[in-house]
Amino acid sequence: MLDLDICIELLKECKCIPEADVQEICFKAQELLMEEGNVQLVDTPVVICGDIHGQLHDLLTLFRAGGDCPDSKYLFLGDFVDRGFYSLESFLLLLCYKVRYPDRIALVRGNHESRQITQVYGFYDECLRKYGSANVWRYCCEVFDYLSLGALVGNSSGGVFCVHGGLSPDIESIKQIKLIDRKKEVPHEGAMCDLLWSDPDDVPGWAISPRGAGFLFGKMEVDKFLHENNISLIARAHQLVMEGYKEWFDGGLVTVWSAPNYCYRCGNVAAVLKIDDNLNREYKIFEATIQDANAIPSKKPVTDYFL
Amino acid sequence: MISQSIAITKPAGGYIKPVRRVLSPDDLNKWIGSLSYTQVVDFVEQLSLAVKGKENDAPCNVSESVNQILHILDKVGDIIELHPVIQDKETSRFGKIEFRDFYDEITLKSNDLLLGISDLGPLIDSTQDPRIELCVYFNESWGNRTRIDYGSGHELNFICFLLCLKNLNILNLDWDATAIVLKIFIKYLSVMRILQKKYWLEPAGSHGVWGLDDYHFLPFLFGASQLSLHKHLKPKSIHDKDYIEMFENKYMYFHCIAFINDVKTASLRWHSPMLDDISGVKTWKKVAEGMVKMYKGEVLNRLPIIQHFFFGNIIKAPEGVSKNRVTKYDYESDHKNRLPGGHIHTWGDCCGIKIPSAIAASEMLKKKEGHRIPFD
Ligand SMILES: [Mn+2]
Repeated sequence: MLDLDICIELLKECKCIPEADVQEICFKAQELLMEEGNVQLVDTPVVICGDIHGQLHDLLTLFRAGGDCPDSKYLFLGDFVDRGFYSLESFLLLLCYKVRYPDRIALVRGNHESRQITQVYGFYDECLRKYGSANVWRYCCEVFDYLSLGALVGNSSGGVFCVHGGLSPDIESIKQIKLIDRKKEVPHEGAMCDLLWSDPDDVPGWAISPRGAGFLFGKMEVDKFLHENNISLIARAHQLVMEGYKEWFDGGLVTVWSAPNYCYRCGNVAAVLKIDDNLNREYKIFEATIQDANAIPSKKPVTDYFL
Repeated sequence: MISQSIAITKPAGGYIKPVRRVLSPDDLNKWIGSLSYTQVVDFVEQLSLAVKGKENDAPCNVSESVNQILHILDKVGDIIELHPVIQDKETSRFGKIEFRDFYDEITLKSNDLLLGISDLGPLIDSTQDPRIELCVYFNESWGNRTRIDYGSGHELNFICFLLCLKNLNILNLDWDATAIVLKIFIKYLSVMRILQKKYWLEPAGSHGVWGLDDYHFLPFLFGASQLSLHKHLKPKSIHDKDYIEMFENKYMYFHCIAFINDVKTASLRWHSPMLDDISGVKTWKKVAEGMVKMYKGEVLNRLPIIQHFFFGNIIKAPEGVSKNRVTKYDYESDHKNRLPGGHIHTWGDCCGIKIPSAIAASEMLKKKEGHRIPFD
């Protein structure tokens, strides 16, 4: 029998959990996520979090900054995996919380929750190294396909639209997002791709993104979207900001970044955004955890190239 | 000097502006079996062999051409000096936008810079001037202008710039091989270190902690070869602070370890598990052999990297790969698309294609392109 509380404790200690348990957690999470809409409705108060990228220790710090789950409610805006040392543990911890406390945590898909991207940026390598096969990576990818594309915080007018990347020229209203068939690998173009890949920038209207996916969008598009959907803010992640968060366009959009000292080198602080019942914003800043050099995971045999 | 009387070897059909050709998994297979692929691998292996057992400052033959290339790298260094980072401007951003000014000046001047290689002769009609091909590899060697990043794909471009010069008979492996690594490549590496630190270049397409290094591959490959005859230093010596300090200026591998320790917090075992793994290999000889296999497996055989690689008439596209599709990003320096801050200029008909607006262009390209894997 899968004991979620035990799994949560193990994961917090960065311990690998058995492959069969991973499979079961993923399956249960999938069943829950399947029932959620493309845009989840999330009540206030809620803590909105940006990119994690496998920085498990910093994720634990985040929970200290925002309040333990389930005492505080959380909304994560994707990019749980890739780059960091503990992508798998970070993602599984969030999934365990999801299965254990379904109404206390919401997960939105980031552009890294994709088969193609995780094969380039580390999550695939990590699973292979930790489990010796790609099975665990496959189970996770199945879950990725069911993650929602966005969230709307606060039911009343003036709410907050939350998404990993940003806007799409194909999307004028939040209603249109609800029509997307999301249960698939992130496509290379179109609305679903843009929501996960786009970035705000000082451009008039729309512009080509240097990433090669999604678009750059400016103040005009943000103002239009806010007005059209009767909301006060777009909260998104996806871009490293040295100060942890950055408001754009007279406060109509905010980037929230939750991976401090990104990739062990960037020297940035991280932030989460608390939205209270009156839709007030409160940013909580936190710094990187000092890694304990002794608590190093067990060594695996060297890669095939050097045998 | 030895090289002065050598006429350059011209490919039949003159020169063409290099373009990207490997766009699909099918193309990738053709690339892996191609003559150009073999040429790149052979070149890297011969360079590696040429520095076996040699310290950075080991004596070696320095030909006139090598000297001229070193002089060009000095000039690149001078250009960096002209573009200081203005502090407190756009502090939110990681990469410093002044990198784009540096990059623009390089692309503007690369033709002239390459005039410094005397065997290339004066500038002439483009189909007869190898600089039309050389400039592309040279310009790509410094990173990506818009994204302000750098990775092993850019490093590959510099090696291929040198491979072009070898194919043109301007460099000759019989007497230049050691200097290509110990003089030219090391100088290139030092220029890259300045760029990486000064402009906070982001790692391009890195596997995060699961990759070998955020930026480079070849200094590890050449570096392991340098160490492969060493009597006392072992792969595990990279964990020893004193050894690193003693040898960082003598061996590229130790320089790289020192650089990582300098820029990264926490221990090597955390942020570089791959290097930690490799330190468990018994001998440097084994590491050196593994590095060549790994370079193929992780760089040359990877679509996300090779989809950006350029082919012309000096380094020819594999038989039967996709037709050239010029995209906005193929020659971004030509189009001067300034991002961010200011709108994106449409690029009219400069590639022979009329394009009404940036978005239309992107839509059109999306339809035409074989969907390159985007940058996170
Ligand atoms: Mn992202």
